[in-house]
Amino acid sequence: MNSINLLAVTIFSGAIAGTILAIINLGLVEPYIDSAIALETQRKISSGENVDMAELVHYRIWQKGGAIAAGAVYGISLGALFGIVFAYGRKALPGDSNKQKALFLAGILWFVLYLMVAIKYPANPPAVGDPETIYYRQSLYVGYLAISGFTALGLALAWKRVQLGSKKILFPLIYAAIMIVAYVALPPNPDKIGISMDLIHTFRVVTALTIGLFWGILGIVFGSLWDRFISREEQKYATV
Amino acid sequence: MSTIRQIAKEVPRVPRIAVGILVAILLFTMFMVGFDQGHLFSIVQGQPAFDNMWMHEFYHDMRHASGFPCH
Repeated sequence: MNSINLLAVTIFSGAIAGTILAIINLGLVEPYIDSAIALETQRKISSGENVDMAELVHYRIWQKGGAIAAGAVYGISLGALFGIVFAYGRKALPGDSNKQKALFLAGILWFVLYLMVAIKYPANPPAVGDPETIYYRQSLYVGYLAISGFTALGLALAWKRVQLGSKKILFPLIYAAIMIVAYVALPPNPDKIGISMDLIHTFRVVTALTIGLFWGILGIVFGSLWDRFISREEQKYATV
Repeated sequence: MSTIRQIAKEVPRVPRIAVGILVAILLFTMFMVGFDQGHLFSIVQGQPAFDNMWMHEFYHDMRHASGFPCH
């Protein structure tokens, strides 16, 4: 396997999936972010706080302007993780083709790195997070993400090595048990919610779907590029 | 008389250099997108970077949309 091909396939597929996510977000997620910011601004004005509207508009232009680039970078970041896991685990993944294997892995990673974490620390629109608690919330989020990710990784490595036959059903049960303990042991998000729960619930559902879509696109693009550039390269070596 | 035939078969290995680069990309970009609160710009800008939080604002909407904690 050639380093350049692996890097190119990984980075390119991540950038494509991330850019598509950003474009989808502009249509599906941005309206909720705008609504939440409008509510937050209204609340600040009602409480007598001085709001610099020119600065707010300036920040929103910067934030929206960065959306596509931010999506591409986000995609490259998770694409890098995806590429490493796929390169090492491809043979153990179920599926008849690389596209199927990549799609399966994408589903697992969405579940382990997004959905499981979102059950404990769900996504919130602006107007919910308190700037004073950001480092505390980040450490909780990273802690729970690490527990989910490393538990899944450990169990995936053990899957091939442990001879349990039909008792392999134990593996997902072990994962579930560890995540239940972590869910109970880790403290909740400390911030109080002061805006409409309807807006928050809709935002969470929509973002879970768009991130799921991102992982699906990443899997399909990655599997296709792997077939095009890496499988052919391996076949070339095999026939020499 | 028996003979021993050796067949060398090349097994495609995952290139470690590429994996190292991908790990570096993962850590740096993940910090940039999800966690930076002015830290990266503070290397050249100093304390004002933590007030401006340019990187945070640039990735702001993606942070919310992808589930990272934000203000």
